[in-house]
Amino acid sequence: MPQRFAATAVAIALAVWSPSMLAAQAAPDLNDAEVADVVLTADNIDIDLARLAQTRSKNAEVLKFAGTMITDHSAVNAKATALAGKLGITPENSAVSQSLLAGARTARAALEPLQGTAFDEGYIAREVAFHQAVLDALDTLLIPTTSNAELKQLLVSVRPAIAAHLAHAQMLQRSLVAAK
Amino acid sequence: MMRRVTLPSLLVATLAVSPLRRAVVTPAPSRTVEVSGLAYHPADLEVAQGDTIIWINRDIVPHTATSDISPRAIDTGTLAAGDSSRYVAGRAGVYRYTCTFHPTMQGRLVVRAAPTGAQKQS
Repeated sequence: MPQRFAATAVAIALAVWSPSMLAAQAAPDLNDAEVADVVLTADNIDIDLARLAQTRSKNAEVLKFAGTMITDHSAVNAKATALAGKLGITPENSAVSQSLLAGARTARAALEPLQGTAFDEGYIAREVAFHQAVLDALDTLLIPTTSNAELKQLLVSVRPAIAAHLAHAQMLQRSLVAAK
Repeated sequence: MMRRVTLPSLLVATLAVSPLRRAVVTPAPSRTVEVSGLAYHPADLEVAQGDTIIWINRDIVPHTATSDISPRAIDTGTLAAGDSSRYVAGRAGVYRYTCTFHPTMQGRLVVRAAPTGAQKQS
């Protein structure tokens, strides 16, 4: 089933730094409640990592990026939560949400001991990979499988922000390399 | 049946024949830049001195429209979802601006010099 193959690939991509965690995992078929949970989980993961960056980084541009991640993902979360409430959807955990959380734990554990430039490079590399994975997930799984029109529209409207975050992170990555 | 003449209609009739009518100045045009999908629409805008430009944020996330050189001729400050900001085009020139939160967003405002003796009033 093509959709199942796509979902498996997305689930693996979402783990970003821990693809092996999903190796034996069944491919998910997401309902709208699970899609809503993936959105909230992805936002919270990025907010959490940005808060870590705010306590570790001394780089003004990295700090600014982290601030933007907190602001934007909080805004998306607020919108998604309000919409879920309006639609009577209670977010449900799924294999995709679990893989996101597993990937986030791995990423955080890898970043925790880092300081200074090493932290900045690690954090931004993670942000590039994470936003690329979320973008792929939106395109190949979340948007196509969402049945509710309003929830689908929210995902479509969020996509440019994820693409801009990815481009911003890539820009920072290049500047960190150039500063070496 | 007689039409009742109201005070506003008298005022309108008076203004219509009054020499004061010639003193009424047409407001300078205003142009809107919609901020949506993490982009300015239009991203490239040409206006005349005295025109008003309105940036309105249609996105979920906050944005700014901020000149990328100092002193910042254009700076909307933070525009939350649904917020807007007005700017009256001053000195002629080319102004590039960006969103301070999302530097991949780029816009350009070209302000044409007003023809001599044809300065607009707002």
